[in-house]
Amino acid sequence: MMATWGCRFLLQRGAQLISRAAAESPVQLLGCIRTVKTTTGFEEHLTEDNQKYMRNLMAEEYRSQTAERLNPLKDEPWPRHEWTEGSRRVGLVAVKLGMAPIWTKTGERHPVTLLQVQDCHVLRYLPKEEFDGRSAALVVGGKNVSPFYRTEKEMEMFRNAGVPPKQKVTIFKVSDNAIIKPGTPLYAAHFRPGQYVDVTAKSIGKGFQGVMKRWGFKGQPASHGQTKTHRRPGASGPGGDPAKVFKGKKMPGRMGNTYITAHGLKIWRVNTKYNVLYVHGTVPGHRNCVLKVRDTVLPSRHSTVLSPPFPTYFTEEEGDLDEDLFDENLFIHTEPSLTLT
Amino acid sequence: MAVCSRGLDKFATSLRFCRKLQLHNERLLSTSVCRPAADSEPPKFVPPSKPVIVDKTQTVASLRKFLSPEFVPPRQRTDPFKFFLERKDMIRRRKMLNIPEFYVGSILAVSMADPNASGKTNCFVGICIQRGGKGLGATFVLRNIINNQGVEICYELYSPRIQKIEVLKLEKRLDENLMYLRDALPEYSTVDPEMKPVPFSPTGEVPVNLIKVRMRPKPWSKRWERPKFNIQGIRFDLCMTPRQIEGAQKHAQPWLEYDMLKEYDTTKLEQQILKEVQQEMSK
Repeated sequence: MMATWGCRFLLQRGAQLISRAAAESPVQLLGCIRTVKTTTGFEEHLTEDNQKYMRNLMAEEYRSQTAERLNPLKDEPWPRHEWTEGSRRVGLVAVKLGMAPIWTKTGERHPVTLLQVQDCHVLRYLPKEEFDGRSAALVVGGKNVSPFYRTEKEMEMFRNAGVPPKQKVTIFKVSDNAIIKPGTPLYAAHFRPGQYVDVTAKSIGKGFQGVMKRWGFKGQPASHGQTKTHRRPGASGPGGDPAKVFKGKKMPGRMGNTYITAHGLKIWRVNTKYNVLYVHGTVPGHRNCVLKVRDTVLPSRHSTVLSPPFPTYFTEEEGDLDEDLFDENLFIHTEPSLTLT
Repeated sequence: MAVCSRGLDKFATSLRFCRKLQLHNERLLSTSVCRPAADSEPPKFVPPSKPVIVDKTQTVASLRKFLSPEFVPPRQRTDPFKFFLERKDMIRRRKMLNIPEFYVGSILAVSMADPNASGKTNCFVGICIQRGGKGLGATFVLRNIINNQGVEICYELYSPRIQKIEVLKLEKRLDENLMYLRDALPEYSTVDPEMKPVPFSPTGEVPVNLIKVRMRPKPWSKRWERPKFNIQGIRFDLCMTPRQIEGAQKHAQPWLEYDMLKEYDTTKLEQQILKEVQQEMSK
């Protein structure tokens, strides 16, 4: 954080201000003076050489940390349990790369989003009592970022897990038989083709938008005598009986930049070498945004048939998966062209 | 004695030298040239080894250095890794189906799998009027006139339903986009469905057809005379008065060619991608 101008409330002089300004308006009570915050960015008090050295040092440290963590099973893992009816397992944090077309064996074309799992680690275990009293939770983080712009409190959590700081930190509600030791890396092979997932991400922010774009109102005609009214909301409710506008009335305002979940997306293909998931359809968020991926909540798309790895996929154990795992209906490009019968 | 030994020595060294030369030259050039005169027996006829160095690492087709336009990534904020993954899939498909080099204006014949056709395949011959899309979703539009009805079909290059793409006539035109053929006289869009492929040597230059097309009377589907489309292949002098042509020039935006933010230089990218693609295809 750079040196910023902050506001300190004047608690002592507040009473005097209140008495003086009470006549004008109650809102302007809070007197503020500008103060300089003492926290500075890491670069401010270092020479150039030292800055470079710090950067290289952190990079090396994190490379060694990730290398250590590549073998979770040798690292005294927590006991693993079997899958039972009604158990929930962890999800992943992925980055949206872009979209591409995909064809089935019958020649149908579907659009598909590519999600890459970059440096996903389990950070903390929150037992039932600490979390919400009903189910345990695992804190998972994705995509490494630089440590220089993170507070000490955040860094503490990453240091305890022995992992570089992450851009996105999310909580997954998990059943007790699926808990994982903090510091374990999670890979894309955690999901298998044919499974269904829910993807949550912040939608693209559109700023302050009118009622037609935000809520899909029809607006008014472009001509035939309309005076200065083409995109306005029109009426705002019934008339004299309520004599008010109901709460939650759809009106213009800020649109986008909120968490949206897309449910029931099928996974067509998993690339285990580069940790890429090919997920059906579109997903909220812009390119290169960080998202949260987890098993579906929808009851009609349960993945009981597939038996995905529980609690998660460990490289040493299941080791040699093929570089690409395909869904059975998917057309693979190394096959000859289709001959429909 | 000294003379004999010296002579013998020379003979031995010369023999050794000649044998070495022989072995060395047998690999590259014909041996008849370096046959030593010192050999006592008459020279046996040894058929010369191949005199021409054939560069078998490069196939003839790749000698031309053509990179299909859908390999060049668009100017976006996408991670280049995503284009790398797509390119791998595109190359895998190209190894199964030969997608030949073609340009807008060439005549192609495409056979595709169709569940509703008899024999389950249908074949279409037409002139390529547009190549769009990047990556796996690249498309091309073929136009032809069948029974006095203009037909345009948009094919996806990497769709698994396409069984064969054949170039009947490879040529370029004056424009990158021939959509104006919709407003041109039908004779310019008609292609004989039974046409035989025109032979073309893979090492020659692609011929440019400088034809200028005659149009139907206005109105057209788009105002092709405007400088925004920059069309070179229409005979405007036959269908518009000089005054109309001048009027169309009023819509010119001459500052666009100096706009630095619109510059996108792809030469280095193209070279890199071409090298990568050729390496993968030859594996």
